Amino acid sequence: MTIVIAVGNTLRRDDGVAHRVLEMLAPLPVGTTAKAVHQLTPELADYIKDCDRVLIIDADIDATEPCLQKMDAADAPPRSSLGHVVPAAEVISLARLLYGFTGEAWVCRLPVVDLDHGDVLTPEIHSAAKAAAVQIRGWLLQS
Amino acid sequence: MAERIEINPVTRIEGHAKISIFVDDAGKVQTAQFHIVEFRGFEKFCEGRPFYEMPGLMSRICGICPVSHILSSAKAGDAILGVNVPPAAEKQRRLMNYAQVLQSHALSFFHLSSPDFLLGMDSDPKNRNIFGVAALDEDFARRGIRIRQFGQRVIEVLGGKRIHPSWGVPGGVLKQLAVAERDELLAWIPEASKTMEIAIGRFKSMLDDFQEEIRHVGNFPSLYMGTVNEDGYMDFYDGRLRLADAEGNIVADGLKPWRYETFIAEASEEWSYMKFPYYKAMGYPTGMYRVGPLARCNVVHATGTALADKELREFRERRWVVRNESFLFHLARLIEMVHSVERMEELLTDPDILDEHIRGRADVNNNVGIGCTEAPRGTLFHHYEVDDNGLILKANLLIATAQNNLAMNKTIEQTAQHFVNPNKLSEGMLNRVEAAIRCYDPCLSCSTHAIGQMPLDIELIGPDGSQLDRIVRD
Repeated sequence: MTIVIAVGNTLRRDDGVAHRVLEMLAPLPVGTTAKAVHQLTPELADYIKDCDRVLIIDADIDATEPCLQKMDAADAPPRSSLGHVVPAAEVISLARLLYGFTGEAWVCRLPVVDLDHGDVLTPEIHSAAKAAAVQIRGWLLQS
Repeated sequence: MAERIEINPVTRIEGHAKISIFVDDAGKVQTAQFHIVEFRGFEKFCEGRPFYEMPGLMSRICGICPVSHILSSAKAGDAILGVNVPPAAEKQRRLMNYAQVLQSHALSFFHLSSPDFLLGMDSDPKNRNIFGVAALDEDFARRGIRIRQFGQRVIEVLGGKRIHPSWGVPGGVLKQLAVAERDELLAWIPEASKTMEIAIGRFKSMLDDFQEEIRHVGNFPSLYMGTVNEDGYMDFYDGRLRLADAEGNIVADGLKPWRYETFIAEASEEWSYMKFPYYKAMGYPTGMYRVGPLARCNVVHATGTALADKELREFRERRWVVRNESFLFHLARLIEMVHSVERMEELLTDPDILDEHIRGRADVNNNVGIGCTEAPRGTLFHHYEVDDNGLILKANLLIATAQNNLAMNKTIEQTAQHFVNPNKLSEGMLNRVEAAIRCYDPCLSCSTHAIGQMPLDIELIGPDGSQLDRIVRD
């Protein structure tokens, strides 16, 4: 089973790009489930524990183009304080540590231009979202 | 030469703040200040909006406690409409509030503070987090995640989503609870009860190791304020306010929340964006009072549920009715979690909660509405004034974290004076000062909602600690 998690605030323009990508992916291939969330939380470690592959899609102010990459299981778990912000790597680390998650973890980082109030993507990020959706669809169809 | 030690940012709290510790010429800690360096402005930018939009707008103040803002805001809207909220809607609101308390307290205890308790205040800061807890006790860490997940699941089922649900409205709520949803939530109760039994037992067993912290982290007399029902029991949703002093004497009782301006006033200090509320009758700063779990456990006659009352009796028998030690906010928080699980079970087994009549409707009947609930961190007031079309003319929010502002400052001053040796600083000393703040579980996103004259004081400090430049706007 594959799980796709889209993260972001759809009322802060490009921050909601992951949600838009998820909409573009519909209908999802058989064996894939998806969840759109405002932010990552530790509870998602429980949610992903039994899947074979998880993909977390998120906006990233440092990204210049859609970037789909596998997270290395050998990475040392990060050590933040789990307050308002929980990085993707921490959710994966918690899943491995507490629930024995052994699946593949992937992340797709998407660029942003405008994070002001609004529910419409900027044109360039809308294009980036379409490109990301194509890339992710290909990834989903890989066994 | 006098100097200043700065902890910036303070970690494992909700928001951004800094602490300044002032050292005198003799090299001893003289005083300390907790600076709120966030600025937001919700009270101002909601002016002109229709009052029925307010629960949705106000929920955006905070991603941790949106439910508290929705509920106080919806109650203020109820008052503007002048309607009685249908029983099913009131029960849903109460259930949602307990879920909010449960998930917020779980974040505070399991995720933010338990690393200090389980790993030690002086342990390696790289491991002093939930991962360190997980390495030590996987089951405890998993339970911490699951109990918060339960609270969030209740919010999601009732409100449609976990964060910023669009659900509470003036007059009631928007969605009827289905039988299948109710049954799903009820199935969580046994696990939640067990987790709380384990957590509170574990914490009590550790208290002997933290006697120095209990004695010297914010252990001072103050007033306490919380909401009680007509029998004096704990009530998070509705009732009258009670103030008790450090010996347990009731200073004021039966206070009507909608008359809060007659007994609470707010002072401000140039070094913080957060207001300093105080009990008006005693003046500033003598009228310092505390709110939140410790205060609620200090002012109530009892919680009104069996397991929590057993814990509350033990809490009180350890010394006397009122506990003044800020470190015991953590134990009070756990007692409230036990209570919340018990009340959630009661509400979920009450057939009324499934009723389809969930909203009372009316036009604007009053130009002022004040809503008050007990948020996880303490008493929360929303005060709106509207024109005859229901457009907001003025809003005032009195937030729990701000009401603890005076006490938090006194707590870090006392903690720094006891634990910080400016001549031989260690990370563990500074962690205790941060831990002192974490007792209150401050939510700085909530408490910096106001707009007005913005004090600005920027200091440029060189590597040797000398002041290189300073810009001041007052």
